[in-house]
This record gives sequence, structure tokens and C-alpha cells, in this order.
Amino acid sequence: MAVEKEKLNWMYRNMLTIRNFEERVAELFAAGKCFGFVHLYVGEEAVATGVCANLRKEDYITSTHRGHGHLISKGGDLNLMMAELFGRRTGYCKGKGGSMHIADVELGILGANGIVGGGFPAAVGAGFTAKYKGTDHVVACFFGDGASNQGTFHEALNMASIWKLPVVFVNENNFYGISLSQKRSMNIPDVAARAASYNIPGVVVDGNDVLAVYEAVQEAVKRARSGEGPTLVECKTYRYRGHFEGDPTVYRTEEEVREWKKKDPIPRFETRLSQMGIMTEDQMKQLRDEISNQIEEAVKFADESPWPSPEEVLDDVYA
Amino acid sequence: MALVGIIANPASGKDIRRLVAHGSVFDNIEKVNIVRRILLGLQAVGADKVLYMPDYFGIVPRAVENVHLKMSVEPLDMYCEGTQEDSTLAARLLAEEGARCLVVLGGDGTNRAVAKGSVSVPFMSVSTGTNNIFPCMVEGTIAGMAAGFVATGLVPVEDVTFPAKRLDVMIDGEAVDLALVDVALYDDIFLGSKAIWDMDRVKELVLTQAKPSNIGLSSVGGMVIDRPMPQEKGLHVLLGPSDSDEGFVVTAPVAPGLIKPVRVLEVNEISLGEEVSFDLSPAVIALDGEREVEVLPGKKVSVRLNENGPRVVDIEMTMWLAVRNKAWSPAANEEVSFYGSSGHNA
Repeated sequence: MAVEKEKLNWMYRNMLTIRNFEERVAELFAAGKCFGFVHLYVGEEAVATGVCANLRKEDYITSTHRGHGHLISKGGDLNLMMAELFGRRTGYCKGKGGSMHIADVELGILGANGIVGGGFPAAVGAGFTAKYKGTDHVVACFFGDGASNQGTFHEALNMASIWKLPVVFVNENNFYGISLSQKRSMNIPDVAARAASYNIPGVVVDGNDVLAVYEAVQEAVKRARSGEGPTLVECKTYRYRGHFEGDPTVYRTEEEVREWKKKDPIPRFETRLSQMGIMTEDQMKQLRDEISNQIEEAVKFADESPWPSPEEVLDDVYA
Repeated sequence: MALVGIIANPASGKDIRRLVAHGSVFDNIEKVNIVRRILLGLQAVGADKVLYMPDYFGIVPRAVENVHLKMSVEPLDMYCEGTQEDSTLAARLLAEEGARCLVVLGGDGTNRAVAKGSVSVPFMSVSTGTNNIFPCMVEGTIAGMAAGFVATGLVPVEDVTFPAKRLDVMIDGEAVDLALVDVALYDDIFLGSKAIWDMDRVKELVLTQAKPSNIGLSSVGGMVIDRPMPQEKGLHVLLGPSDSDEGFVVTAPVAPGLIKPVRVLEVNEISLGEEVSFDLSPAVIALDGEREVEVLPGKKVSVRLNENGPRVVDIEMTMWLAVRNKAWSPAANEEVSFYGSSGHNA
């Protein structure tokens, strides 16, 4: 696994950006600045980062209700994202979609999705398009452990398998579907085991190790680009915050959260970068300050942006 | 008391070698089935008690469902992290509890983790991993019976077990880890997804065994020797890049379904106690096929061939001796007479 220094730096920057963005959103939501539900990605940064480090601009992703990390990793504009969460006209969906509907087709971001398992059909559609048009574009389809119990998951894997579509199904297994433990919602520990039913490779990786995710997805993307079909990569990870902001998280123990925080993907990566001489403490601090400023600029942009006018309420509404 | 330990790794047989090679997928439900047959085999030959490593899937508790066992089957009192350290801790606790045989379900990596916890209790290792050089492909029933014969003392342990070798890995002279089959010096700085398939990055190998019938890195050793390696020897192999013209090239099955040309620069037999030094840092050390140890810049790695690996149950010898010694237990006789008198064959 030869990873260029530039890419390692990008991975670190991206994980920090997600973490800072999400932690700032948590504060802003509590302060009444953001509207609708927000589902934060804190703790899972290594997955989106490791996956998207393998993608090109013209590749696609489909996201979930917990989509901020995916969008940032695929190049989403922080100002437009924050403005959308603030419900402002300058936001990605002109302030009318909120956290769970952000899309940027030019960047290949086919949309966050408030419906659990809603990304699968779009991912298969995009994969079919790539194959039909003869491009070598690939699709990364993010989904949670709960979504793998939906019918769309099984239909999507079946179709992607029979048509050998260039889709990498990325399972972010954080062990809870809302408040329901995976142990109570499925009788197997590994979502990846379901791949065998559709005759596609399924592998399990440490989702809190950005390089493990990167390497596994690199192989899956290679396979997809060369026409060999889909792969299911299960990334075991954990969300530190509740399912949504305001979730009292009575369904899990503090001890469990503490144990997972010991495996936090960001300090783990920082230690490696420092030990291997890739980045110094000073460089990391400088980067942290830079990202912090960037997030504050996004907040300022959002806060100063205009609200949509009442006359616009039915614009861009299709159903 | 004939106490047997069971360590069944729920994570074995699922890594990236299902993607970059063609490794078997070992579903946990199948592990449950295997453990169930192991338990029945153990009981049939008179084992009294089983202590097992708890795990997040509950392999052993699920195996116990729907079967009637007279022997006690209980979990070890331990907190599971869901990592390989669970297997190491379980082995240590089982040795302390006085287990007379450890039944291990996993591949080479799992057996390595168990060996880090104890090498004093004989291993009955059942393949549920990827390369499976150390464990045996054996039917669970037979594995259970063989482990039971060893644990009950119905066959003498010294007659039916053999000592395996191990490789101690040291950084700056301090032991940091061990391997049972192979140690590889890998030219990288991160562990990543752990498995090894890019042979151009493997610079050196130290092997406890070298057989052309092996799969994985030890197969390279098997391809460069022309006779079976003696038990008291190991092998040190230096490799070169595939596009170089130094040395010679062998073709080796380095992972399931992945047969690659490997350029060999030098081969040396090593003796027990002998130490091999690596001259590359930063680097990564792979143990039994998985990248496990990061070598920081300036650190010095050495590997020593050690004769004190775990004792391993020879299944064939155990079963032959059990028959020859008429070592069938009262429990087994009850089972046999039950079926004989139930009218099944009438």
C-alpha cells in the first residue's frame, strides 16, 4: 500500500474538517441556528475519508441521513452545506431541504437521503449508467447496518451482481439502527456475510482505521473500474453522538462509548503520521487552526445569507 | 477433571483476502455448527467440563442450543474487546483454570493470538481461517473426540502431541510478538488492511516450515528447497523485486487462488535459537500472513527461531492410540448402547 504523502495529508485534513464541522453543527443546533433533524458523523470520519480518497471527481456517491461526512469527503462546499442547515437561500437546496437532502450532481454527490436504504436504487442506477455509457466511473453507496435489513439492499446487490455494475457498497456498521442494537435486528454479526448470497466479494475492515478502509476500497474500486462488478466492504465503526441531536442514548452504556473513543480514528492517524515522520505537531496544529477558521467562515456565510422568501415556497417542489 | 477450553474466533475468515485473492468465507453460523459437533465429540469420550471464550456473536452458546449436554459448558469470566487480544487473554485464563486441551477455531492468526496467551496446554486447532497452515482441516466431531481423549488422559499426551516451533520478533532486542509459521519484512509504513498480496514489497521471510503444499508465504520456502526441512530447522529467504534479474524466480501460491512469481535472492537454513536481523526501517512486520507490527524509523528488528511453540494434538495418532488402548469412556458407551437399544437398527 504505497500512499503518497499528499494523499495522507488530505486524509488527515478531511477527517479533521468533518469532525470540526460536525462538532460546530452540534453547538449551532443546540443554539437553535439549524433546522430539522441533524444526524452527526462524529467518530465515523475514517470511513468516508478512506472511501472517497479512492474516487475521482466524476465518480458518484449516494449518501444517507448521516451524510455530512460523505459530502465533505466528495468535495462538498462547506459554505453551501452550512447555509442549507441554517435554512438559507444560498444553501445547496435553497434552504428548503436541510441536512438530509443535500446533493451536488456536478461533484457526483447524488444526494443524502432521509429514507433508510433509499440510496441503493440510485446507486444501482448510476452504476448502470456508467456501464451503459461505457465510462469507467464507479459508485460508492454508503449505507448503515439498519439499511441492510431493507428490501432495497437485497434488490440492489442482486441487480449489481447480475449486471456486474461498478458499485462499491460501503456499509458503515455502527452497531445501531436508531436505538436498536444490531444484535437485536439481525442474527449475524457481519453485514459482509450477506454478499456471498449474491456471489460478490464481502470483506470486513476496521472502519476506525482510515488506511484499512482506503486499502480495501482501493481494491474494490479497481475491481469495479475494470468491469468485474460490485463489492461489499463492511466498515466497523461507531458514532459518538446520538442517532440524532437530542437523542438521550439510553440504549447504550457509557462504558461502551468510552471503549470506542479509545479507538478514535483521528488520534490514531495523528500518532502514525507523527511517528512515521509524515507530519509534525506544529504542522498538525497549523492545519487544525486553518480548518477551524474555514468552518467559522462557513458559519458566517450561512448566518449572513438571506432567508428564502415566502413566494419561493413552492419553487423546486415536484410532488 | 477433564477440562477443555474452546476459543472460537468470530472474526476469522473474513478479511480482504476475499477481495484481493479467493479466500473462503467462513460464516459464523458454520462455526456454530462445527463447535456443536466438537462438543458432542468431547462429551462422547468423557470430557467433564468446557470453558469457552465469550464473543460478540455467541458461537458457543448458540452451539449449545438444541443439543442435550451432560457436561458443563460455561463462559470464561472476561470482558471481550472484539480484538485478537480476546483470544490471548482467553488462552491465559484457560491455562490458569487447568484446561488440558485448547480447541481453537480460526486460522493462523487466531492460533498465533492463542499461543501468545499459552503454549503449555496442547492445541487442537480447527481451520476456519484463510491460509490455515497451522490448524487442521478436520471434521468437528473428530476434533472434539481427539481433544477429549487428550483432556481425559485416556491417551498419554506425550505420545499424541508434538511440539511446534515459533518465531520470536524483537525490536531493539526486546520481544514484541511471535509467529507460528512465517515472519515477513514488508516495505511499507502502515498496517492498512493487514493481509499481504503485493510480493514486491516483501523483502525477507523467516519460516518455521517450508512446504510446497502450503498456501501463503511459507509456500515460497517450499518452492526453494528440494527436501523436507528438518524439525529443528527454519528457513530465511531474501526476496527481490519481480522486475530485477538477480537470483531466480519461483512460482508460489501466496494466498488462496493467488499464484505469483516471486524473485528469490538468497536462501539460508537457520537453527533453533538462531537470530536473523532485518535491515530496513521504517517498515512493517507481517506475522503469519498479516501486517501486525509497525517498525518506527531507526528501530532494529530481529527474529529468533524458538523450539517452544505450542504442543499440537496429532489427530490420527490420538485416534489410533485411543482405539488400541480401548480408551472408550463410560459416557461414550452409554451413547453407543442408547443407539443400539433404541430400535433404530431393528
